[in-house]
Amino acid sequence: MVEILDISLPIISLIISALLTIPVFKIVRKSSHKTALTLGWFIVVFIIAGATVANLALTYYSIANPGLLNLTLNGGASSIISSSFLVDAISIYMAIIIVAISAVVVIYTVFFVNSNERPSDRYFAIMLMLTAALLGAVLSGDLLTFFIFWEAATAAAAFLMMYRKNAFSLNATLKYLVMVIIASAFVLFGLSIVYGITGTLNFIALRDALTTIAVSDKSLLILAFVFIAAGYAIEAAIVPFHFWLPDAYTAAPAPSSAFLSALVDQGSYYILIRILLYIVIPKGPNATLDWTFMLAILAALTMIAGNIFALIQNDVKRLIAYICVADVGYNLIAITSYTSLGLIGNLYFFLIGGITTALAFMVVGIINKHGFKTLEDFSGIGKKLPLASLALVIAGLSFIGVPPLGGFMAKYLVFTSALQANLSWLAVIGVLTSVLQAAYLFRLIHYMYARKSKDATVIKESKRILIPIFILAAALLVLGLFPQLVLNLLEPATRQLQLITPLP
Amino acid sequence: MSFTLLAVFALPAISIPFVYLTGKKSNKAAAIFVALIALVILALLLTTVPAILNNPGHRYVESHAWIQILNADFSLFADGMSVSIAIISVILIFAAALFSINYMEGKKNVAVYYALLTMLSIGLVGVFITSNLILFYFCWELMLVPAYFIVGNWGYRDSYKAAFKFFIFTHAGAVFVLLGIGAIYWLTGFTDMFQAQTALLTTAFPDVVKWVLIALTAGFAVKMAIVPVHMWLPDAHSEAPATMSALLSGVIISAGAYAILRLSLGVVFPAVNLADPAFALNFLHALAIFGIISAFFGSLIALVETDIKRLIAYSSIAHMGYIMFGISLFPSNAVAGTAVLVVSTTAIAGTILHILSHAVSKGLFFLSAGAVMHQTETRDIREMGGLAGKMPFTAVSATIAALSIAGAPPFACFISEVLIFIGAFQVMATDSFYILPTVLMLVATVLSLAYSLRFTSRVFLGSNKNWGEKKIVEVPKYMKIALAIVVVMVIIIGIYPTPFLNLIQTVQFG
Repeated sequence: MVEILDISLPIISLIISALLTIPVFKIVRKSSHKTALTLGWFIVVFIIAGATVANLALTYYSIANPGLLNLTLNGGASSIISSSFLVDAISIYMAIIIVAISAVVVIYTVFFVNSNERPSDRYFAIMLMLTAALLGAVLSGDLLTFFIFWEAATAAAAFLMMYRKNAFSLNATLKYLVMVIIASAFVLFGLSIVYGITGTLNFIALRDALTTIAVSDKSLLILAFVFIAAGYAIEAAIVPFHFWLPDAYTAAPAPSSAFLSALVDQGSYYILIRILLYIVIPKGPNATLDWTFMLAILAALTMIAGNIFALIQNDVKRLIAYICVADVGYNLIAITSYTSLGLIGNLYFFLIGGITTALAFMVVGIINKHGFKTLEDFSGIGKKLPLASLALVIAGLSFIGVPPLGGFMAKYLVFTSALQANLSWLAVIGVLTSVLQAAYLFRLIHYMYARKSKDATVIKESKRILIPIFILAAALLVLGLFPQLVLNLLEPATRQLQLITPLP
Repeated sequence: MSFTLLAVFALPAISIPFVYLTGKKSNKAAAIFVALIALVILALLLTTVPAILNNPGHRYVESHAWIQILNADFSLFADGMSVSIAIISVILIFAAALFSINYMEGKKNVAVYYALLTMLSIGLVGVFITSNLILFYFCWELMLVPAYFIVGNWGYRDSYKAAFKFFIFTHAGAVFVLLGIGAIYWLTGFTDMFQAQTALLTTAFPDVVKWVLIALTAGFAVKMAIVPVHMWLPDAHSEAPATMSALLSGVIISAGAYAILRLSLGVVFPAVNLADPAFALNFLHALAIFGIISAFFGSLIALVETDIKRLIAYSSIAHMGYIMFGISLFPSNAVAGTAVLVVSTTAIAGTILHILSHAVSKGLFFLSAGAVMHQTETRDIREMGGLAGKMPFTAVSATIAALSIAGAPPFACFISEVLIFIGAFQVMATDSFYILPTVLMLVATVLSLAYSLRFTSRVFLGSNKNWGEKKIVEVPKYMKIALAIVVVMVIIIGIYPTPFLNLIQTVQFG
């Protein structure tokens, strides 16, 4: 049986590790094996965190035919307003990928040495805190608990963004914070209406309340959910609310960009899935509000705008940031389709999109470190930094959706789900924008391999920083060839959603 | 449980790092390594031939568990059409690897080149022997990415630009294939092409199936470089290194023809024919028209082109036109409400044989042209002439290739073109539309004779041009061996095509 302790252990373990990180750094500072010791410390941290998550997963799956488990802190009559955790196949899956990707990015950060932005002890502590907050968010069982964890995550994210403390990064962080505050206000406003009408914020109780709600209250409730969804849409960077993202990810140091794009982005899609698929059910007998067409338009806009802006970028890091925006669009297709294939595709896309953007940002971080920033600068990088370039090519091919990399299977699932949902036009826009992606990413590859470099300086490639990078690249290949490894974890998710409402 | 065809995938995949490491040490050793891989694959493919000839369904099938949740198995098969094309592509890979020994000597990063060639061979063979649509798409794109880098990195002049064009065009085609594959999964719930074929016949959305047919065919036509989506081909083929041109023109564009036969017509077309026979007939007629346009366009430009490789590249467009015309003779049943067809007709057998004979002839043509360019370091045929005396071996092989391309007996393309025309006359008896196209096609063969003869006379015959200080000598040993292998194939198919025809005649669509 899953206990509250099983769920809170990963979160608590990461918070304690975060607090211990600062003293640990003080101790190892003098040592001559500083990097090795810090690496050892983080390996221990993530083994413990991984073990606690594994414990949660194994306990959950030891139940025969597990459903959505709602665990409240207070029992009895007050349980409906109590803080609560929700464990189901999706939240366990999210917890696993958050810990796994976070581990790889933290290891990269240990090796990431740059003259003026060497990550400090606090930087690592915040990374662990952010991981803990995200775990809390994906495991939370009501909108308020989610909101609290999510606010903690965005605060930590802002710290990661402004780490360089130059004018550009402060400006970008300010933009992000303003957007986040507006988003939080939207969400809070929506939450208060929802609570006022239904008397609960618990995901499961809320859905039951929605099916029995009086017609007169319905329009106000829809307004409330529009506010909540708009709030999280801002944080997920759906076009037209995307403009903070490219600035923020470009201004942040590479580890931050990788961390944010791979994890924080996915957290905000996660809540969209929870709200849109599990609470405000669009179709079927328990339907509350059919939002699919609205979201389809947004998905199309996001894919088109993200890819067109990426096409005109000259700064490579900014180009990748715009691919993150475009990826949001592909994710939205899957939510919109509202089929079991779409749900699987969406969750698989989370993982693959996260790995791919993290990989791209990590490699670009290494290349930027040598002073190469624009497309022009990238001329001849393929010869100067052959291994890092290879990893960037792998990431690029995965973005485009070239088999046998993971990106292909993700896009295949997403586009097929759109066809299933009779949204062929959306699938067509999706594949056409993928061709656009191929165009600008191959332009990047063209610069890297076909152009001659301007200066003839020889750069010695640091080998150890390539370890985390090639872990991710290998993961893309393995997940592309054997998607079954992940899809097996997702299969229960579709069954559980079927319990709520029949899916096509 | 048998693993023969799985080994065809696994062997090159596992070998890639070893090929790379060998290539770091020695160019020759890596080339021989790749050639050996090709030989083993050839042996593996040949072991399936008895099963194909004797099994009741004339199909050798193998299936391994893969992605259960999508109902997708790692299902592999070989039938008369797929195994014969796969055998030819392996032979071309073998020849290309041997050719590379001399051709790549002294070039940079040969280790990467051979690793990419090995990776390419997975796609080149795999695409013909898989019946799972997702796996098919895997192989389809795997033909593209290594090819991009080989063309870009070891090609001539502005090769990355040509490679970029190649990638964007064919990838844009491929995404429509992806949409089609996705739609087939949506309509039927199957990702296996043979299961899908049966399920599509009873689909609830016959109108969607039409779009699937169009999307798939359009996507494959880009790979085939049918006019008007041919623009990538002349650049890619002429800037690529000779070995890659041979594979591009011999196998990769033929894969487009194979895919139209296997997927568009074999899997989707019967359902369309059942639902709307008039549309199906018009569709075939449209293919014939595109075929004629390509044949004339390609031949006419080849007639005036002066760049040695662009000339051959345009002739590829022309020959894809013949193949498209042959494909358009696919039997369709004009009576509504009946499921269609089955065993290959003369026209389709001729078309498949033409895919094979064009592959070897064009492979030989490009390798010979590559040999000429390698020895003379020039590519303008106006500056050549009289090379027959200096490079007799290359002259003979190039002339054989040119004559085969022109459709002269006793070389490979002669038999297959004759079969296509016999098939066309048979179809004409029931469908009078084909009278004019067949006549036009016969005219186009005259054009191909013209440009082939122009090529031979300009390059090898006539007066010696002044080569100045340059001393032109015959090609080195391994290039000769590679050319000889392909010459033998061209002659065998030309004189005694029976083994291939026996295999091809067992093909069943549906």
